[in-house]
Amino acid sequence: MMLARRASLRRMVVCAAAVLSCGGSRTSSSVSVQAAPAPAPPAVADPLGPRPQSAASRPFLPPAPVVFTTANGITVWLLERHAVPLVACNVAVPFGASSDPKGKAGLAHVTAKMLDEGAGRRGAIDLARELDDLGARLQTEANADSSFVSIAILKRNLDRAFTLFGDVVARPRLDPVELKRVRDLWHNALLQREKDPDATARVVFRVALFGADHPYGHPWDGTPASAKAIGIDEVRAFYAAHWRPDVAKLVCAGDVTRDELTALLTAALGTWKAPATAPPAPVVPAAPQGPWPKWVLVDRADAPQAVIAVIKPGIEASNADLPALWLVNDAIGGSFTSRLNQDLREEHGYTYGARSRFSVSRGPGQVALWANVATDKTGDALAAMLADLRKFAAEGMTDDEIERARAQAREELVGVYESVDGIAGHLAADASLGLEPDYEAKAALTRQQAQRPQLDLLASRFYTPDPSLVVVVGPRSRIEAMVDKFGWPPPEIRDAVGAVVRAR
Amino acid sequence: MTAQRARAADELTIPFSKATLPNGLVVVFSEDHTVPQVVVNIAYDVGSRMERVGRTGFAHLFEHLMFMGTERAPRGTFDGWMEAAGGHNNATTREDLTDYFDIAPSTALPLLLWLEADRMRDLGRLIDAAKLDLQREVVLNERRQSIENRPYGVEELVLPELLWPPGHPYHHPVIGSPADLKAAAVPDVKEFFEKWYDPSNASLVVAGDFDVRETRARIEQWFGSIPTRGTPGRLTETAPPDERTTLTGVVRRTVSDQVELPKVTLAWQSPRHLAPGDAEMDLLASVLSSGKSSRLYRDLVYEKKIAQSVEAMQESQVLGSAFVVTALARPGVDPAKLERALFDEVAKLRAEEVTPEELDRAKNVYEMEFVERLQALPERAVLLNTYQTELGDPGYVQRDLDRYRHAKARDLFDYANKVLSADKVVVLTIAPQPHPEATK
Repeated sequence: MMLARRASLRRMVVCAAAVLSCGGSRTSSSVSVQAAPAPAPPAVADPLGPRPQSAASRPFLPPAPVVFTTANGITVWLLERHAVPLVACNVAVPFGASSDPKGKAGLAHVTAKMLDEGAGRRGAIDLARELDDLGARLQTEANADSSFVSIAILKRNLDRAFTLFGDVVARPRLDPVELKRVRDLWHNALLQREKDPDATARVVFRVALFGADHPYGHPWDGTPASAKAIGIDEVRAFYAAHWRPDVAKLVCAGDVTRDELTALLTAALGTWKAPATAPPAPVVPAAPQGPWPKWVLVDRADAPQAVIAVIKPGIEASNADLPALWLVNDAIGGSFTSRLNQDLREEHGYTYGARSRFSVSRGPGQVALWANVATDKTGDALAAMLADLRKFAAEGMTDDEIERARAQAREELVGVYESVDGIAGHLAADASLGLEPDYEAKAALTRQQAQRPQLDLLASRFYTPDPSLVVVVGPRSRIEAMVDKFGWPPPEIRDAVGAVVRAR
Repeated sequence: MTAQRARAADELTIPFSKATLPNGLVVVFSEDHTVPQVVVNIAYDVGSRMERVGRTGFAHLFEHLMFMGTERAPRGTFDGWMEAAGGHNNATTREDLTDYFDIAPSTALPLLLWLEADRMRDLGRLIDAAKLDLQREVVLNERRQSIENRPYGVEELVLPELLWPPGHPYHHPVIGSPADLKAAAVPDVKEFFEKWYDPSNASLVVAGDFDVRETRARIEQWFGSIPTRGTPGRLTETAPPDERTTLTGVVRRTVSDQVELPKVTLAWQSPRHLAPGDAEMDLLASVLSSGKSSRLYRDLVYEKKIAQSVEAMQESQVLGSAFVVTALARPGVDPAKLERALFDEVAKLRAEEVTPEELDRAKNVYEMEFVERLQALPERAVLLNTYQTELGDPGYVQRDLDRYRHAKARDLFDYANKVLSADKVVVLTIAPQPHPEATK
């Protein structure tokens, strides 16, 4: 067993709307730049001397990929990296859970999961075996807005692996026998999700914030009921309508040239043809309208911790304010020294970590402030979180916080661009959201140049808890009493799949 | 990425140079100017295996205290200054080792080294009850979040005590017991620091975009001036012999937890990290559960449809490893039936060699993971330090990979027979707990 000081090592800038588990997070309180109090006068000179000052770091601007289009209409982004004999590619189509029909939550998800359950002339097991023979790592997934197939391969196995990759993307079998197995496993996994307090909180805030009929209102991996309701005809129809070359973006990074890639694509995906009909337009969900209950409580009897979450509507990925929002988020809950983490963890010990994340999504998603706190401190921790947010929204960021957030933004990007699969995944998310190939460099510049008036406005708009939706997952009998002191109305009670048990 | 490591994955090297300071601190440099970043990684050769009775969880609690400030860098500034310079940090504690790492733009390297030297020098004597009490609460919350309130989290607590005998350094979990964490006092902290956080018990890796000469001079001044109190004694003599398990029979335990599906776990003592047999066990784990074509997935999930998921792994450790095979039962499947099916698959590894195709596949999957991992500067630093700590040789990367490349089906077969005994094994079942009040 290995225990880390912090729950997660790295943050990620890009976050699917529906995935809270991938947002960014770190604060700076004023202490971070005070000079150290002078040590007691040493008898001899201090061998360490004064704290070294760091020179400004060299700017890091992500390189833009080369862009071209294949004969059958696939838009390709390529960023060559020849230092390591690895290639990572990612095909994205701009349709995800927000395209799920009513009552079929998780259709985009299970369609993605079915792509590698047999494709071309290989059944599910043979396909998996051949990928492993090559040491290729292939993954399929859907998030709120998009669906992806990604592969990472050693250069020497590129030809053979691309054949399999092409089959998965363009020639999946979508076999009803395989679907039955996949669906059984999927259904069981959704039952397991109800036992996980964080996953439960994500399911519940989504339906409570957006409403069940909103494209972002359901969990993108579906519900136990919808998992039972989806058949092979629906999967095939979803695939046929949404997985087509004229809407697909293919992003590659690594040890491959444009000529090599073109030849690979011609061989593996050259016969992938779009239907004659026009493709559907990507869904652009509207901002959630409310009204929301003051707070929602999900009972988890005897739990030693409660999840506390303050949720607000966010902004869409194409919004010009998005890069600057990264900085604001960093200050309140995006970094270890963020205000929330310093207060709830380092001052009070209520939690192992408090954090803030915002979705990067085609429609306005959400901002989520989050902590898992000792059950007997739920009231105190929630009061502290709300007070921190009110102060932040009212006062905005300090100069130190702005400086630090800029430095952290640079650091984050360097980390992403360190690996070819990091690059491919990051750019594929951008491409699927309709962002331009040079978006990352422009966003990096925007962040470095953002000024206080814009940042303070974003802080007051997206981080004030008044109004917001508060979600708590923990022992109802103890928590209702602790929240009494806020003078709030009684909570709306929901169950672990988000259904209302008792309206407010 | 360095040219040396490039091209064919046939030759893997992470270039380095190494020095030992007069106070015993080992320093390893690895220059790589691909991106303007640096990593500082310090491994202290201490982990939960050094904890004494009544103080389980202390090594990890202590790791949290390492961030609580000194005179030069008061509480909050270690993180504050580092993050302001564009850096970040983390630390991990495991049974064998405590690892601290800082990642930052190359211009911040002097700051990182200064902060690390400062706390290596002074932290212990400056710990007070307020710092201890605060991080004790944080750690108790970490325990709640990662174990008590997490489905199947209880396995982390129970498996060590079933697999390793009382008195063995691995008998208790890294996180420790709440009672022991609550009992920890300031004198314990000072004693632990004095004993284990000595320059002679640490190794420092600097990797990335920096100048070795200039950095070495700084390190000699800032770290070299820290007095050593002598190398602490080792506990390795309590390690079980690699090929003889201390288990004498089938150890069974059933515990209940707030879970949806029952989980069956089989665990064996297995060869220690980097010892003969370690790579072979790793490859056997891959044959059992890596991907849909693996034996356990194909048999239990795909064909018999009795398992929801399967996993096998060789958890390599310094005093002895754990080979663990787990499966979640599908709804309505008797865990005893699942257990029999797992044992049947394990028995096949003892009865017959794996096929050449299976072995090649396992090797390819491993090599891909290894090469992918080496893309990241922090990972390269950790690897250098792992080799230094365990072998005294940071340059082991190629030989490490060769252990896998040269593994033979016959050796896998032999180790399966030595290790995966049907009658010296732990069988842990985690059963769903009825929870009438859960969703009212």
